[in-house]
Amino acid sequence: MAGEIGMSSPFTGLLQTLIRHRGVTGCMIVGEADGLIIDSSLQIGVNGDAFAALTASLYRKAQRAAHAAGFGETGFFELVAEGGRMCAAGRNDLVIVVVAAPRVNVGLLRVEMLQGLEAFV
Amino acid sequence: MKLSVAENWVEAPLKQFVDEARVQLAVLLNPSGQVLGQFGFASSVDVMTACALAAATTASSAELGRQVDGRPFSGLHYVGNARQIFLGQVPMGTSSLILLTVFDSESSLGLVQLFFQELCAAIAVIVPKEAPSGPALAEDFERELNRNLASMFGRS
Repeated sequence: MAGEIGMSSPFTGLLQTLIRHRGVTGCMIVGEADGLIIDSSLQIGVNGDAFAALTASLYRKAQRAAHAAGFGETGFFELVAEGGRMCAAGRNDLVIVVVAAPRVNVGLLRVEMLQGLEAFV
Repeated sequence: MKLSVAENWVEAPLKQFVDEARVQLAVLLNPSGQVLGQFGFASSVDVMTACALAAATTASSAELGRQVDGRPFSGLHYVGNARQIFLGQVPMGTSSLILLTVFDSESSLGLVQLFFQELCAAIAVIVPKEAPSGPALAEDFERELNRNLASMFGRS
């Protein structure tokens, strides 16, 4: 996997930028259709495979809900839970997934993620 | 869609897998092709066919893995136009079971793999000591197969 030591992928720079945010515990590039990790940067203890599969599924459903409501494409998706946040943004069958603590600066994170999507064209 | 089992201890983990992974078809069998539980199949003939093919495919891919990699391949994923197949081995003591499942875009390979791992963990905990660890003997095979299919579909 590209996330292993010594390997890099086209997403390495983006992941390094995202993981440096205060409160971010993991970030991944995930296939929207299959829910598998393409590249990731995760702190110890984050179950990346489970997060990737479940978040991709949620993202697909959010997309369908947005289309059904006539809202168009899903731009940015955020799940707020008691112990943390999960943010996702996608384009062209790829989804950026970020796992973070509740105190994370979501505004800044959102900007970085949406900028990162530009590389997915 | 109805879930039916030949062995009661597989019902809870198989139901959880089907519910969580949102698959269309699932069948749990032993390596000799005898069914232990199924979800989504309409007839016993379909289950019998799926089990025979799954057992044969698992045996073939295991041998291919030994030839190529020195150890058996333990999983297989095939992507069709609208549906996908996942075939995985569930460790059970010294032996293993086989799970064959079919899913579409309502699910994903990531979800199936995730809940397959949970199925493996659940079965490892609840598998009864008296569960057969090896394949059925040839002379018992057809009788056992018919008994299992009859208990799931109500006829032999």
